[in-house]
Amino acid sequence: MRTLLIGCWYQLLVLRRSPADLMALFVVPVNTTVFLAIMQHADRPDLAGHAVLAPGLMALWAISLVTCGELIDAERWGGTLEALVAVPARMLPLLTGRIVVVVTASLFAFVESYFVALVFFDVSISVPHLGVFVVSMLATGLAMACWAGVMASVFVLARSARIFQNALGFPFFVLGGVIVPVSYLPDWLRPLTNVVFLSWSSDLLRDALNPAPVQDFGFRLLVLLLLALAGGGLGAYLLSAVLRRVRSLGTLTYA
Amino acid sequence: MHFIRVFQAGTLNAFADFAATYTVRTWTFAWLGRIIAQVVFFTLIGTLLGSPEQQRFLLVGAAVMAIVGEVLFACASSTWERRAGTLPLLVASPGSLLAVFAGRSIQWVPSSLATSSVCLLCVGPLFGVTWSVPSALLLVVVLFVTAATTYCFALVPGAAVLNAMDLRNIVANVIGALITAFCGAVVPVSFWPSWIGWAVNALPVTHGLRAVRELASGGFDVLPHLGYAVLTAAIWLVVAGWLLRRLAERGRRDGTIEFGD
Amino acid sequence: MIKQVAPAVEVTALRRVFAGGKGLRKRGPEHVALDGVDLVVDAGEVHGLLGPNGAGKTTLCKILSTVLLPSGGMAKVLGHDVVTHTAQVRTSMGIVFGGERGLYGRLTARQNLKFWGALHGLHGKQLRTRVDALLDRVGLRDRADDRVEAFSRGMKQRVHLARGMVGDPALLLLDEPTTGMDPVAAKDFRALVGELRAERRTVLITTHDMVEAEQVCDRVSLIDSGRILATESPNALSEWITRFERVDALVPPELVSRLRTLPGVGSVSTSDDGRTRFETTEEGVAAQLVRSLVEAGVTTVTTSKPSLEEVYLHVFGGNGMAVRR
Repeated sequence: MRTLLIGCWYQLLVLRRSPADLMALFVVPVNTTVFLAIMQHADRPDLAGHAVLAPGLMALWAISLVTCGELIDAERWGGTLEALVAVPARMLPLLTGRIVVVVTASLFAFVESYFVALVFFDVSISVPHLGVFVVSMLATGLAMACWAGVMASVFVLARSARIFQNALGFPFFVLGGVIVPVSYLPDWLRPLTNVVFLSWSSDLLRDALNPAPVQDFGFRLLVLLLLALAGGGLGAYLLSAVLRRVRSLGTLTYA
Repeated sequence: MHFIRVFQAGTLNAFADFAATYTVRTWTFAWLGRIIAQVVFFTLIGTLLGSPEQQRFLLVGAAVMAIVGEVLFACASSTWERRAGTLPLLVASPGSLLAVFAGRSIQWVPSSLATSSVCLLCVGPLFGVTWSVPSALLLVVVLFVTAATTYCFALVPGAAVLNAMDLRNIVANVIGALITAFCGAVVPVSFWPSWIGWAVNALPVTHGLRAVRELASGGFDVLPHLGYAVLTAAIWLVVAGWLLRRLAERGRRDGTIEFGD
Repeated sequence: MIKQVAPAVEVTALRRVFAGGKGLRKRGPEHVALDGVDLVVDAGEVHGLLGPNGAGKTTLCKILSTVLLPSGGMAKVLGHDVVTHTAQVRTSMGIVFGGERGLYGRLTARQNLKFWGALHGLHGKQLRTRVDALLDRVGLRDRADDRVEAFSRGMKQRVHLARGMVGDPALLLLDEPTTGMDPVAAKDFRALVGELRAERRTVLITTHDMVEAEQVCDRVSLIDSGRILATESPNALSEWITRFERVDALVPPELVSRLRTLPGVGSVSTSDDGRTRFETTEEGVAAQLVRSLVEAGVTTVTTSKPSLEEVYLHVFGGNGMAVRR
């Protein structure tokens, strides 16, 4: 627990030094404007919730992808990874602490888009199912943190993955149904969207904004948590692979 | 003439960087794939709205915005020049800074021309945006003019971030998002208050997008739009040159032009 | 009748003051980088600017190369004022940095030269001929089409030199050109500078290496704290180098006290590991010391040349020690 807090503290220091890491937060108000304008222009006030949630989900994903994905790699470039591995504190809680801070900071995006809707579009988003919303949001943050851990390790293990990092945004915004629910996608994509945790998150969060009762909440939350667990397990496994490589080769330089 | 030759020399670096960033495979799967996903993302909002017309409108808008996003990489590639430590040598040489920087980031123009062409000509027909052969040919010309003129605009933030290099990505992304919101890509410009409509007329891409929409709707009256795009681009180019000269002059005064290491 | 030729560099009472502190609120104390520098470099001369880090060498180079404005005084390059006539100055001057920066790593050596040649208004056949000739000259013909990022430090420095020469400049500014080079590469580089002298080009070279200054320069100006302390011939430097030699050895204490009294032996200090350092103040004393040590049975003896700081200490009395920012 102590190590986890150290990780949190360290990441807060890093973020204070380089707010550019949270770049997506600067774009959130404009993205909210884009989506709300589309809905208003089409005279569909019922879709305002979609428009307000989407920029937040996109920011959450983008920040996790860029920042967390580079956490380990930046340490490697800075030459501090070996030192980190050498300290007695365990790597997993340290990294977890850092990822938790990044994900928490990016949740601020939802606050931003809520106020943009209120101030510039006079759209007040109400949350009829507050409990569902809060629980889903927490589960989403958890799942994001777990999968960010996967990415952090993948970017170290497979150097070429970095070039695809930039490409991992929009395909997942489509498959994760961040604005258009995945039910609008062709059926053959269903197996794929089912394992993208973002699709369960966005559906749950949207349903929480809808006055109609939320169907199958327990089951859907369970799936989301299972996907988070899968990501966490995979992330922990990959991290141990990274550390094994550091220890056996003495370094992380790429072959 | 000297300006053109320096510009050409500057493109050496642009293409060397491009070749170092992408292979044919990574450009096709990573970059083009990403742009197609981005265009599909916006197009699907039209599906959500249940309107084929909205689908087509958003597809065309998003495809042209792909150009904006990519040429704004000029912000990043301009800072690569300063990171190479060449700024003092450039300032102390008889060549034009504007010519160097205009050549430096040119790689994004052909790349964005390719991605936007694929989106409109190959992805477009899947969502009902169809082209005759003449309109398709003219489309490529229009997209080229749009990319080139938008690039002239992108040199302005590119020059501005040379003094605040940490902000290069934030500046590029926020400007890109603002253009997407207000230049007629997702909703008609008329949706916004009239002063915004006036303001976005200063941007070449607003006119380039109008020309693409004209072609997409079966018309061929693109020349006036392209004329405005070129005219506004020329003004932005002058602004970029002024900013670069000011960067050099200010650097001479306050000693911020690094020398050696 | 004697034809009057303008000096290549003419600097009078040159001052540069930087605002203190960083960021928007520059409230720290002002920093005087150049404090009334007077300097004349004649056409065709290889002139060294010798001083410790932070002495003001680079600031002077920046002003001469038009990337920094002086706070006061006057500087002319080939008769052109560096503040008002930048265009003329820029066409007639080449700059060479030490270190890795200032080159395009992803371009080949040839492409680098072509780029800078184009900036100097060259094109077509003239550009190709000039670039080929320079590549030959700096011995990079065989590696001309390799990317510069793969080059060794010494090879990069040759590209730098060729780059500085591409505009056929009458004056070349070399700012610490051999920093970080291995001794062999540095020696080759100095030979190239020697060729420049033969072509009657003017070279202003900054360095903190006395041996380098002695080897390549016609005259050397010693600079510290933003002031020129003296302008000397390389002979004076070589005399200092031999006068202020150092002898290090493991010496029994009684022998130390005997040698301490020899004429020409300056300071004597013994470090924790028992090694004693003798510093000489007269030529020939080092050799005499070594003989006495060997006769007394001490065989592990090292002699070394004095550092620039030590010479400053001896000659100018402690002005040149601290590295300032």
